[in-house]
Amino acid sequence: MLNYEEELKKFKPSLEVDQIEEAVYKEDLTDMQDIVKEVMAKKEKTVRR
Amino acid sequence: MDYTKKIMYQSNSWYNDGLRKAQVRDMSGGAIVSLQQSLQYNRENIAARNLLGLVYYGIGGEVSEALVEWIISKNLCPRDNIADYYIKNVQNSANELESLNQAIKKFNQCLVYCQQNGGEDLAIIQLKQVIASHPTFLKAYQLLALIYIQMNQNTKARQILIEAKKLDTTNELTLTYLQEVTKQRGRYGKNAERSFRKPKSATVEYSLGNETIIQPKRSKIRDMAQQLAFANILIGMVLGAALIWFLVAPAVNQNRSEKLNNQMRAYSEQINTLEAQVSAQTRTLDQYRTAGDEAQKAVDQAKATSDSYEKLLQVSSQSRSGEYSYTDMADALLEITRDSLGDSGKEMYDTLSDSIFPTACRRRYAAGVDSLESEDYDQAIEYLTKVVKMDESYNDGQAIYRLAQAYQGKGDTENAKTWYQKMVDTYNNSRYIEDAKKQLAILNGDASADTSSDTSADSSSVSEDSENSDDSNSYDNSQDNGDYDNSDNTEDNE
Repeated sequence: MLNYEEELKKFKPSLEVDQIEEAVYKEDLTDMQDIVKEVMAKKEKTVRR
Repeated sequence: MDYTKKIMYQSNSWYNDGLRKAQVRDMSGGAIVSLQQSLQYNRENIAARNLLGLVYYGIGGEVSEALVEWIISKNLCPRDNIADYYIKNVQNSANELESLNQAIKKFNQCLVYCQQNGGEDLAIIQLKQVIASHPTFLKAYQLLALIYIQMNQNTKARQILIEAKKLDTTNELTLTYLQEVTKQRGRYGKNAERSFRKPKSATVEYSLGNETIIQPKRSKIRDMAQQLAFANILIGMVLGAALIWFLVAPAVNQNRSEKLNNQMRAYSEQINTLEAQVSAQTRTLDQYRTAGDEAQKAVDQAKATSDSYEKLLQVSSQSRSGEYSYTDMADALLEITRDSLGDSGKEMYDTLSDSIFPTACRRRYAAGVDSLESEDYDQAIEYLTKVVKMDESYNDGQAIYRLAQAYQGKGDTENAKTWYQKMVDTYNNSRYIEDAKKQLAILNGDASADTSSDTSADSSSVSEDSENSDDSNSYDNSQDNGDYDNSDNTEDNE
């Protein structure tokens, strides 16, 4: 049996047109390359020490 | 292999997976997840980002998400980017974008309604409108299905979910709700579902396109309400008519009566004016008539004067010639109106009458008495009337007395009484006065006079006879001849 209240919480308000700009700025564009570069940078710092 | 290449391969792999799922409309559970995965490996995978935007666009309510992806894509790759075409396409259809934005707002509002108690009905109405205007709005289908499931309207929920499944075949929510609906139907069966509905007799349900429309059936109460409404309209019409009759009509009638009164006043003034004119003209006409009468009188008088003079001259010439009897000349003189003559005419008239009337009176009187005795009363009246005209006091009023007797004998009581009365009034000293009084009393109906009248009448007749004899003595000369006219002629000749 579904829980109506819980199911309602799964529905998120849709993004309205005037909120697009804000959403663009908030978009997280971090990808795997950024993470690898960050990991490699941390590794190089550790080696130098 | 360089890790960068490996990452790009991995990203492309996820892109390919997402593309494959998008082609079979495996949107939210498949394509979106794969493409997001692809972008997490390589944010500059423009194809994956553009496709992700397209998938968002395809499920209706996520147009803004699609635009976000396309804008980022364009920023990352400004040239030869199909995202530019997508953005321009959306921007060119501004009305559609605005309509879509309104649908999104309605959907968000429906979420608020659903979180409130009792807002589901309003949410259903709005969601139906959203679906009608934008049939690809997946989240609207899902929320509507959830509300139907909550209201135990599983059939409707199932229909909605089937439509939603066509938009996104592997959507987790859609499949979960479909499974729940299937469970509910299996658990309670159709009868259970019916029990949650309103009584069947109370509603009429029919499909219109993709929607199922439920209308309440006609009920007795509704029929009564309609009848009451009709009765209220009738009562209103009656009240309106009464209002017009009692308030408006009197004012209209008053105006009409005032107009009529004004017209009546105007007409009466005209009538008065015309009457005044008519009376003035009538007066003028009367004056003309009076003047005409006076003129006629003057003419008549002039004619009478002329006739009188003519006759007077005729009698004068007859008298001079000696060829005419006194009685004829006397008759001619009697036809003359003495007052119409002038002084000389009157003088001539008097001269002629003095010479003619005594003889004429004597002869006419004798003829009248003769006629009276022979009971030829008309003739007697004619002769005696002429005598009276010539000399009313002839023979001490005896001519009047005889004339009254002639009228009495004829039965003309009024004239008889008139002449008897004149005798009594005028010739009181006449020797016939007593007889005249008795006859007058008899004619007036005096009984005592009547009883004594026999003797007196007899005596009077005796005395009369004696008088006649006396009179006859006086003019027997003429009467003895028997024929008066002849005697006249002879006398005239003499």
